[in-house]
Amino acid sequence: MLTNCQRYGLLSLIALMALWLPFNVFAHGVDEDTRAFLLQNTGVQIIPFLYIGAKHMVTGYDHLLFLVGVLFFIYRSRDVLLYVSMFTLGHSLTLLFGVISDIQVNAYLIDAIIGLSVVYKGFDNLGGFTRLLGKSPNTKLVVLIFGLFHGFGLATKLQELQLPADGLIANLIAFNIGVELGQFTALAFILLMINFWRKHHSFTRFAITTNSLLMSAGFMLIGFQLTGYFVS
Amino acid sequence: MQQTLTLTTSALLKYTFFSIIFAAIILLTIILPAEYNIDPTGIGKQLGLTVFSEVKAESINNEPTDIGLTSQTIEVIVPAGRGVEYKFIMAQFKKLEYEWTSNNTPLYFDLHGEPKGDTTGYFESYTIATSDEMKGSFTTPFAGSHGWYWKNTTESPITVKLIVKGEYISHSLKQ
Repeated sequence: MLTNCQRYGLLSLIALMALWLPFNVFAHGVDEDTRAFLLQNTGVQIIPFLYIGAKHMVTGYDHLLFLVGVLFFIYRSRDVLLYVSMFTLGHSLTLLFGVISDIQVNAYLIDAIIGLSVVYKGFDNLGGFTRLLGKSPNTKLVVLIFGLFHGFGLATKLQELQLPADGLIANLIAFNIGVELGQFTALAFILLMINFWRKHHSFTRFAITTNSLLMSAGFMLIGFQLTGYFVS
Repeated sequence: MQQTLTLTTSALLKYTFFSIIFAAIILLTIILPAEYNIDPTGIGKQLGLTVFSEVKAESINNEPTDIGLTSQTIEVIVPAGRGVEYKFIMAQFKKLEYEWTSNNTPLYFDLHGEPKGDTTGYFESYTIATSDEMKGSFTTPFAGSHGWYWKNTTESPITVKLIVKGEYISHSLKQ
């Protein structure tokens, strides 16, 4: 058994390696080339929007962290499908609704809430809510709610780009389908890794560490985004 | 099916507390210095993480070296009876704002772009006219060299004063 000191030493090492990833490249906005494309785009462009949506999901580290948290103790494919569908439902609703009715929410605040979702799931996996409240909140509902927030974040980012009205709905739907495809790709990898790991003793041994780390990463996201909100 | 771990309340609080402390340390020493140049501990600077914002500040304050975000004035001398080209190397979809004047002597000019790596001599003209001044902007349709060809048909050299502002990689005169 590792001592706490060793445990946090390992934790820091993993986090430092994760931080090495270029934040700006992976930050889940849209990169320069994509932005340029979106600005120049006119009319219906199914495949490019599918791709942008998928890329957004695969390279969005905050969603991936949330998914790791959600899937940490879930392995039955029926449950996986259920949770993912709830997230997708929330996400799609507000993305379409947000862009169509021109609702803008501050992206930093939305991203801070996504950070909060990571904290929530880490804490929940540690049994925190069961311990403190006597029961864990309905995960399906929570996933749906965070999905709704996430959709608003996306809607805001897409609106900043002032997409032409020509072909907007079709493009949005393509983008949304892309997001789901990307999500499934990311999920497949995450599930593969977690399920592989689950068979080993280290899974149980590191479960506490992993979820503490997850929670910590969520706090970092919150701090990062809130600072962005106040300095911008 | 196990959905959560079971910890004692004190262990739970301990892990939560540590995760907050750890997040705060990483934020204050690494993330905030690198992302926003907020470095309360000074560790970010020692680690060399504040360079991102320093580079940004330099490229805005100093003469544009790679990204010309401040406006720059260039004087191009077009010799008598000759034509010269002044080109800006730019990536795709970058914008250049410009303004030039040739001191009341009209010049034939062709504002055009040549794709990077093209060997066929292909170019795309954005404007062809004869004028002594022009003001406007363009966004590059492709990566390559973009700029003006001016032709001087008079007996004496003409100086074109060109003021540009935009995202170009480099600029040079081609005779």
